[in-house]
Amino acid sequence: MADLRVNVCGVPFKNPVIAASGTFGFGKEFNEIYDISVLGGISTKGLTLEPRLGNPMPRIAEGYGVILNAVGLQNPGVEEFVREDLPFLRGKDAVVIANVAGRTIDDYAGICARLDGLVDMIELNISCPNVKCGGMAFGIRPESVKEVTRAAKSALKKTPLIVKLSPNVESIAANALAAQEGGADCLSLINTLTGMVIDIERRRPLIANNTGGVSGAGIRPIAVRMVYEVCQAVSVPVIGMGGITCAEDALEFIIAGASAVQVGTANFTDTLAMPRIIAGLNDWLDRHGVPNIEELRGTLRLNG
Amino acid sequence: MKDLRVTVLSNAPIAAGVNQMTFSLPERVEGLRCGRFVNLSVGDGAHLLRRPIAICEYTDATVTICYQIKGAGTKLLSQKKAGDELTCVLPLGNGFVLREEERRVALVVGGVGVFPMISVLKEYAGTGRAFCSYIGFRNAASVCGEKAFRAESERVSLVTDDGSFGEKTNAVAAFFADFDKAKPDVILSCGPAPMLRALKAGLAERGVKVPCYVSLEERMGCGVGACLVCVCDLANGARARVCKDGPVFEIGEVTL
Ligand SMILES: Cc1cc2nc3c(=O)[nH]c(=O)nc-3n(C[C@H](O)[C@H](O)[C@H](O)COP(=O)(O)OP(=O)(O)OC[C@H]3O[C@@H](n4cnc5c(N)ncnc54)[C@H](O)[C@@H]3O)c2cc1C
Ligand SMILES: Cc1cc2nc3c(=O)[nH]c(=O)nc-3n(C[C@H](O)[C@H](O)[C@H](O)COP(=O)(O)O)c2cc1C
Ligand code: FES
Repeated sequence: MADLRVNVCGVPFKNPVIAASGTFGFGKEFNEIYDISVLGGISTKGLTLEPRLGNPMPRIAEGYGVILNAVGLQNPGVEEFVREDLPFLRGKDAVVIANVAGRTIDDYAGICARLDGLVDMIELNISCPNVKCGGMAFGIRPESVKEVTRAAKSALKKTPLIVKLSPNVESIAANALAAQEGGADCLSLINTLTGMVIDIERRRPLIANNTGGVSGAGIRPIAVRMVYEVCQAVSVPVIGMGGITCAEDALEFIIAGASAVQVGTANFTDTLAMPRIIAGLNDWLDRHGVPNIEELRGTLRLNG
Repeated sequence: MKDLRVTVLSNAPIAAGVNQMTFSLPERVEGLRCGRFVNLSVGDGAHLLRRPIAICEYTDATVTICYQIKGAGTKLLSQKKAGDELTCVLPLGNGFVLREEERRVALVVGGVGVFPMISVLKEYAGTGRAFCSYIGFRNAASVCGEKAFRAESERVSLVTDDGSFGEKTNAVAAFFADFDKAKPDVILSCGPAPMLRALKAGLAERGVKVPCYVSLEERMGCGVGACLVCVCDLANGARARVCKDGPVFEIGEVTL
């Protein structure tokens, strides 16, 4: 049995596998299939101060080895989350990460203040490509990344802050540095890449929102490259994601420098993807005689 | 709800562009019921989303589905042979439930909507209920499932859009034309969205108070209720998940 424990800015995880925001709800449904206490952590559906109905339907389409979604942050609002869903999550043996979004800087600060001390970590979603104002607007330029990070951080007295970065930017490393300067305790990446799929018969985009966020196996090489670049640029820990489907995929991110990983779209293809990844990590480490996974972090050697 | 590796026992055409597949379950599954569905992987690395397909027939050890070959995923499914394995999440959704006092049941069905209705007929056969079935297809070549409806229904009206089989009309018009003879206590419906809208409008126009349940289709992500991809609009302004809160809803409860 290899040691899969990792520590991410002071928060201990029993293994580095975290459910990615928006693909796992608040955990109740997947818990009907397996006990979600096996997971290292769970990042919730993106929460906002007020309930949101999200985008019109259809909200999903398929590309080759990828999917596109435009859910648009439908969620019950932070109060209902705290009342109805948080007690369930707290009863599970996994790190609880609240993924939060807002329209204004005050929204971000407000929701962080509300959740401070109630969850193990907060993940600031400044990178959602599917909502008009807010979300991604803050995630594009380094100046606004720093500003929103600083506002969120100053609202938090107890809970560590993760800033989730958008790949739809000029330099993800520059934004990563900006988040670190703004006070982020940790970074996560990547959120989805903006894309479009067209129904040629109707000559219209398949998704009602026209564009959607691309995720799934096909984006992994882009995500690995970005995680590597960000790990080179910053000193805070990084959580990597984008197209992870198996233990070997997860190890690419860890070797590139990530402390932990999130798994999103793979949960749709295989509801048991995360337990399989955890078992696969253990097998791989045992087979390679690596006693603990932290030894692998950032061990990438470039060619030439 | 389980995610299982199932084995294809048979997979063959039953009408133009429609296949029937039976697969065996590796273990007993609780809660297989009419109107519920399965979410099937298509088994390649390119198509990441599972395909939701209604349960048409089931035993303790097998499930039978019938699917129209529409796009890439159902095409891949149609190429599966006996012995091939697929992964399948089941059973999903709420399903159709008849109350004890609902004795006369009208089924208003369009196209591939016949398959979940066959599961209703099989499940409630022998409970002394009278079924009146109104089934519409595009043309004669797409007609399927006729035998199951004839075997279990008191009245059957099978019609086509082009008149190449039965009367040239649609299922909703056929239902309302026969409404006084059917005298339903409850109406169950499954079919394309325009058909469901026509049914809803027809019920409102005639002031019909009989409860009516419809099965909806929406594109899905997780299929288990977690991702909020598959929602539909409710009349009260809220949204519900087709995969978890549905796919069956009271017709007045949803905006079609
Ligand atoms: C609860 C439920 C039960 C269903 N039962 C049946 C059935 O018994 N028999 C049958 O023939 N069809 C049924 N359908 C429709 C069936 O799911 C689609 O025809 C099928 O997913 C199309 O896949 P494709 O790969 O051929 O098409 P593509 O167009 O290549 O599919 C692309 C994506 O869109 C989704 N999609 C496309 N059309 C639909 C649709 N109408 N509903 C939901 N998702 C769609 C696919 O699942 C896939 O994710 C059902 C749908 C739902 C929601
Ligand atoms: C349906 C869906 C909904 C998502 N919702 C959110 C969200 O609310 N907040 C967020 O930060 N990321 C959201 N994401 C992005 C994922 O958390 C993740 O960053 C992305 O999908 C890449 O990982 P993957 O390839 O493993 O899916 C969503 C992704 C999907 C597919
Ligand atoms: S498909 Fe994910 S909630 Fe219905």
